[in-house]
Amino acid sequence: MKYFNFIIVLIIFSVLGLSSCKKEETVTTKTSGDVGLDIEHVWGSAEEEFILNKEYTHPLTNDKMTFTIFRYYVSNLRLKSTDGTWFTQPDSYYIVDLGTDETFLSIPEVPGGEYTDIEVTFGVDSLHNVSGAQTGALAPSNSMFWSWNSGYIMLKAEGISPNSLTGNFIFHLGGFMGENKVQTTKTYNFGTTPLVIDGNREAEIHLVANPAKLWHSADNLATKSSMTIPGVIAKTMSSTFYNGIKFDHIHN
Amino acid sequence: MSTSIKQGLGLLFMIVILGSCQDIQDEASFDLSYPAYFPEPHYQFGKNKLTKDGFELGKSLFYDPIVSRDSTISCSSCHFQGHAFADHNSTLSTGIDGLKGVRNSPAMFNLAWNTSFMWDGGINHIEVMPVAPITNHVEMDETMAKLVAKLRSNAKYNAYFKQVFGNNTEVDDQQILFVLAQFMSLLVSDNSRYDQFRKGLVEFDEEENAGYLIFKKYCTQCHAEPLFTDFSFRNNGLEFKNDDFGRQKVPLLDDDFMKFKVPSLRNVEMTYPYMHDGRFRTLKMVLDHYSTSLVPHENLDPSLKNAGQIGIPLSENDKEKLLVFLKTLNDYTFISNPLFGE
Ligand code: HEC
Ligand code: HEC
Repeated sequence: MKYFNFIIVLIIFSVLGLSSCKKEETVTTKTSGDVGLDIEHVWGSAEEEFILNKEYTHPLTNDKMTFTIFRYYVSNLRLKSTDGTWFTQPDSYYIVDLGTDETFLSIPEVPGGEYTDIEVTFGVDSLHNVSGAQTGALAPSNSMFWSWNSGYIMLKAEGISPNSLTGNFIFHLGGFMGENKVQTTKTYNFGTTPLVIDGNREAEIHLVANPAKLWHSADNLATKSSMTIPGVIAKTMSSTFYNGIKFDHIHN
Repeated sequence: MSTSIKQGLGLLFMIVILGSCQDIQDEASFDLSYPAYFPEPHYQFGKNKLTKDGFELGKSLFYDPIVSRDSTISCSSCHFQGHAFADHNSTLSTGIDGLKGVRNSPAMFNLAWNTSFMWDGGINHIEVMPVAPITNHVEMDETMAKLVAKLRSNAKYNAYFKQVFGNNTEVDDQQILFVLAQFMSLLVSDNSRYDQFRKGLVEFDEEENAGYLIFKKYCTQCHAEPLFTDFSFRNNGLEFKNDDFGRQKVPLLDDDFMKFKVPSLRNVEMTYPYMHDGRFRTLKMVLDHYSTSLVPHENLDPSLKNAGQIGIPLSENDKEKLLVFLKTLNDYTFISNPLFGE
């Protein structure tokens, strides 16, 4: 009997000891599920489908533009539950890339429940612009990082245009400090029906972005066909684009 | 079996199990060390776990031209230990395909105390520092993605990285940048004659002392002891050349015109030529600049105006004494330390 007790004590201790080796434990409730965030891209007020390598005419500047690169950061996704609390996705960094069709972002392991809003940061928060070497979407190998003036390129839009004096256009928009900081946090309400996560369905949130909005308060390409440093132009162009991103629908 | 023995055994068992999670002990004793009169380092390593292996791997990369596009240029091509990791005394460094940059390669030491990097302070963290030379088209002209791929397919490095970061990891940007940061951070220069003086091991002679006094009167406003820089950006009255606006390009403020980072003056005798573009070949020319040739830019630093006069009032005799003092900042242990050598 005494020995039996001793063995139990040993087992308990060793289990404790072993489990303390684990770096972290993932608490997965039974009903948690993945949420998809789909960002659809359209062009101009006609909202025709926007893709790379196709010529569009800008409705305001009348510039003809063919995009070869369109990529931007989306980060710090959060979902608001019907009880008012927020689920914050840990380590939440994505590059939306029309070149690789990465416009559908997956938010894994959202706890089961009903949600009314999503909060999205367009760009990268200032903390991660000053925190040294990062991985994943934030790795410098994604070529969305300024090496000579540390900071993330929050949005890259490049392409060709007969209206530009150089024949092409290059916009690398960023800057995370001061009044010209680019990153912007927005909240989208889903309206009357909440998003339901119960592990049995594919919950999706659909947003619509319109790259033409970059030039809503900007010069035409004959005047300015490139901007690759932070400043008021980067701020203006990015904010007209980010502010034009709107909620479309959810499905459960 | 008595209860105390049982508990003892149980405890022992637990210790063995817990112990198996810990990394090897002597790794932990490998640390950034520095004299008591140095301030706290700015870089605290954070998620970057400093180990002897990590440091050694960083050193291998620093000396290996594999980092450049065509395997011709290593970090040490422009940062040579014998010159306190400044260039081989060339004005502008030569990078890939023989191309020249626009600035003089600064020395590399006590980098863990730097609050920013480059002459204009454009880089905000030691870990991302190497991305600039690696990807610069006139330096190493490689992409981070290709460098990652090259190191993954290189048997030696692949094994080396796994040894440092664990078998179930793959080489990535962060691992490369972490080990380079480990190597760079440990380049501590703290054994010059000045340091021996600070530690009470030697005394300055009369000339050195006189030079030290002049230095404290006119230079420490910017080249502050004990690191010989306060890491600020100042306009020190150089003539505007080659469209180099200095810090002005960085946060886009006009007041930043021609401001450059105050460089440390440790090892300064070995790091010629001087200033951001290497325009002065000798320290005497630097002192002549401060005493007689300052350009009165609108944002010239106020500490370079004395009693309504622009410039530092230095007699030829003062200059000689200053030069004697500046030699006390040479750290011969640092430039010959095999720990940092190839
Ligand atoms: C072709 C020459 C060249 C190569 C190769 C090179 N550097 Fe440099 N390095 C420079 C120049 C020039 C500067 C100053 C640039 C500036 O301020 O604009 C510099 C600046 C630095 C600084 C900043 C020091 C300070 O006090 O601000 C560090 C650190 C550095 N280099 C490390 C490295 C590392 C690590 C590598 C290899 C990955 C490397 N360098 C490769 C030329 C080079
Ligand atoms: C107002 C601040 C200030 C004062 C005071 C000052 N310096 Fe400097 N010093 C600088 C700056 C800024 C630079 C770098 C400028 C550049 O490269 O464009 C510099 C560069 C130097 C360099 C070149 C170092 C290198 O590695 O290229 C030397 C040597 C030097 N100073 C010595 C002195 C001495 C000696 C004194 C005192 C007589 C002094 N400085 C006073 C700000 C100052």
